[in-house]
Amino acid sequence: MSFMPGQPLTAVVQRIQIEKLRHGENLILGFSIGGGIDQDPGQNPFSDDKTDKGIYVTRITPRGPADVAGLRMGDKIMQVNGWDMTMVTHDRARKRLTKKNEDVVRLLVTRRSLEEAVKQSMGSYPRQ
Amino acid sequence: MFCRNQTTRATVARGSALEMEIRRGKFRRSVFLGTSQDSDIQKKIDHEIRMRDGACKLLAACSQKDQALEASKSLQTCSTRIMAYMSELQRMKEAQVMQKVTRRSSDAGPMEDRLPCKGKVAISDLRIPLMWKDTEYFKNKGELHRCAVFCLLQLGGEIFDTDMVIVDRTLTDICFDNTIVFNEASPGFELRVELYSCSSEDDYSAGSTPRKLASKLSSSLGRSAGKKLRAAMEPGPWSPVGNGGATPLLLPVPSVPGPKYHLLAHTSLSLSHVQDSFRTHDLTISGSEECSYWLPLYGSVCCRLAAQPHCMTHQMMSGCLKVKQLGGDPQSWTNVYASLKGASLFCYHRQEDVEANVEPAFTIAINKETRIRASEKDPQSKVQNICISNQYGGEEVTHTLATESREDTHHWMEAYWQHFYDMSRWKQCCDDLMKIELPSPRKPAPVALKQGSLYHEMVIESSNDLGSTVSDILARRMQELELRSQLGTSPTWMSLFEENDPNCAGRPRPCASRLSGHSPRPPHRPPRSPASPRRCPQLSLLSSDASLTSDSDSHCSTSPCSRRHGWPEPSSNFPLSSSSPSRPRPRTQSLDAKLSTLRGTLQCPCQHPPSSLLAPFPVSSFSPRSQRSTQTTLSCSSSTSSNSSSNSEGGHSLESSEGAPFSRPSPARRSLRNLKARLDPRNWLQSQV
Repeated sequence: MSFMPGQPLTAVVQRIQIEKLRHGENLILGFSIGGGIDQDPGQNPFSDDKTDKGIYVTRITPRGPADVAGLRMGDKIMQVNGWDMTMVTHDRARKRLTKKNEDVVRLLVTRRSLEEAVKQSMGSYPRQ
Repeated sequence: MFCRNQTTRATVARGSALEMEIRRGKFRRSVFLGTSQDSDIQKKIDHEIRMRDGACKLLAACSQKDQALEASKSLQTCSTRIMAYMSELQRMKEAQVMQKVTRRSSDAGPMEDRLPCKGKVAISDLRIPLMWKDTEYFKNKGELHRCAVFCLLQLGGEIFDTDMVIVDRTLTDICFDNTIVFNEASPGFELRVELYSCSSEDDYSAGSTPRKLASKLSSSLGRSAGKKLRAAMEPGPWSPVGNGGATPLLLPVPSVPGPKYHLLAHTSLSLSHVQDSFRTHDLTISGSEECSYWLPLYGSVCCRLAAQPHCMTHQMMSGCLKVKQLGGDPQSWTNVYASLKGASLFCYHRQEDVEANVEPAFTIAINKETRIRASEKDPQSKVQNICISNQYGGEEVTHTLATESREDTHHWMEAYWQHFYDMSRWKQCCDDLMKIELPSPRKPAPVALKQGSLYHEMVIESSNDLGSTVSDILARRMQELELRSQLGTSPTWMSLFEENDPNCAGRPRPCASRLSGHSPRPPHRPPRSPASPRRCPQLSLLSSDASLTSDSDSHCSTSPCSRRHGWPEPSSNFPLSSSSPSRPRPRTQSLDAKLSTLRGTLQCPCQHPPSSLLAPFPVSSFSPRSQRSTQTTLSCSSSTSSNSSSNSEGGHSLESSEGAPFSRPSPARRSLRNLKARLDPRNWLQSQV
């Protein structure tokens, strides 16, 4: 996932639909995020490219809504409900995920294993 | 009047003999007038006319701008609905007559036209980006030019409107939160999205426009625009529209001056735009920059358009069957109750299992790749068998189904053909079931009228001020002083702040005990009098919202072991917030105001997080990751926040660094803490959602 700011980005993404869990008055997704354009990307343990300022999933609550939906630690969130997440501040990312009037968030995430899977599948079926 | 009296168009002239005959009941009305569907639409039209009248009256009566805008929006919606129903009525009549004609003329052959099943189409998360010029932001210090906008969504005969949103240059996108579901859509649907806007600056009060002008306008528009509308809406003399069709119908332009919405942009979505994810579509913009209702649209609309055809959600066919897998024992027929739904034929042991939601015994896939044919007549039974072949990973698997009677076989084959036809018409919607959330009736959230923009949010959230900067410095000084001297006497300058602190008297004892160190402190530090004979450093300045987190952390005096509520030891969390008091902050709130807010907050019960330590105490136990523990504030605050972040599932209604059991500090304090965290480049902030 090479990332160059300002250049178009191509990534293999997975669609993940998380249904928020209502806990009293709060809606919980069950994961933590890190990163953002206002954060120091060098401290991101999950990114391949240490200049990547994207939003990464840093922790998943076991059996929480995110876990159940298939989100994994280390995923990079590209889009939330149609809103871009590759070039946002940390707080904006958090706000996009935690809108009170939304019960479902639809994420587009990318992870290393997806890219590898695609490469492998393309490799083993050579074009005719 | 009407020369067409052929059977192709049954046009009945008003007052004609035929009409009289109909009235007398000599002819069944339905021959000319159609079925009960017509009366349904008629009822809807009447209902909408009533609503429109009501909206007109409301518009005339209301004085407040937002009421007027809402009423005008209802008016627009009603008018559009009326026009749509009228044209629907027209179409239906024509279709009925055509159908009768075709039936009569052609022989009684099987109707080859197969109709695809209907489905549910839902559009949600509509977002229209705006493209303001930079001059709007930077040079235009004047009043905000605001527009009220809403969307009308039309599919078939159903028209829905979204909520109204006020748009000004602080918004980067127009967002409509509504989810609109259309229930009976055919695969060839056309969903028309129209964006209406109205400038919300003019004065619309009823008395503003001179009467004469108003009446002139309405009547003149009545003639030209009304003619067009009347032509489109003319229902014909045989279906009276309440007023007999003689008098002109009320025009969309109300006779009352008020805000009027204009079409700003529109687009049409169809099956090819349906996908289970968000897509961007182009908008056609009408209007130009000179119009009062103009908004600089970027030119696209982003939304999620999902469709659930009925063949995927409803059971299309069910019945008892006998199933045998090809290649198996000829006698190994299994009796099942089969249900055709979605992309599979579910076979249950018993009929009751379907309702009981028990897992089916087995499932046969019915999708685009499946091949179904009727086999030759089985010599044993007189009934034709149906063979279903699928490719499961390179292998072909065939199931044979046998029904009770020939009719059943026919029904099942018919059901399969219909199913295949549906899938071919609905295309990508049949690959997988798209989820549609029904808009839940939620309480109207206390939403701020203005949606925050990137630019404004930064300003609003930082409630820093110089006072808190000072208090930070003072706090640290106090710590040092206190530790060095272990005295309760404070430097003379502290007395300056003493008067500002009426709350101190109220909390002498807790402070005293706290200093000895075993009880945890609330995150909101009470201001304490420096002159009191307590050992805890007391700073009225600490009451300031802004400084609370860092300051309290920095001079709090409890032992590291005090830990209530079993907070887990922060293990792998990065240090979070830090306060750098040397950063200049704009002054926002006075100290007195802050004190009062603080007092208010202290009334609410707080559960105590483990507090951070005084500077010289080792803080390694709290924040293993804070390598920079030279700065006390950094380590202390990081321990607090890292504790909270390591807490399991907190509600996300709070800012990130709070866990659920925390008492929620005021938004200003919270946001300030976060702002500090964000601004410090040495930290990598994590938020729990």
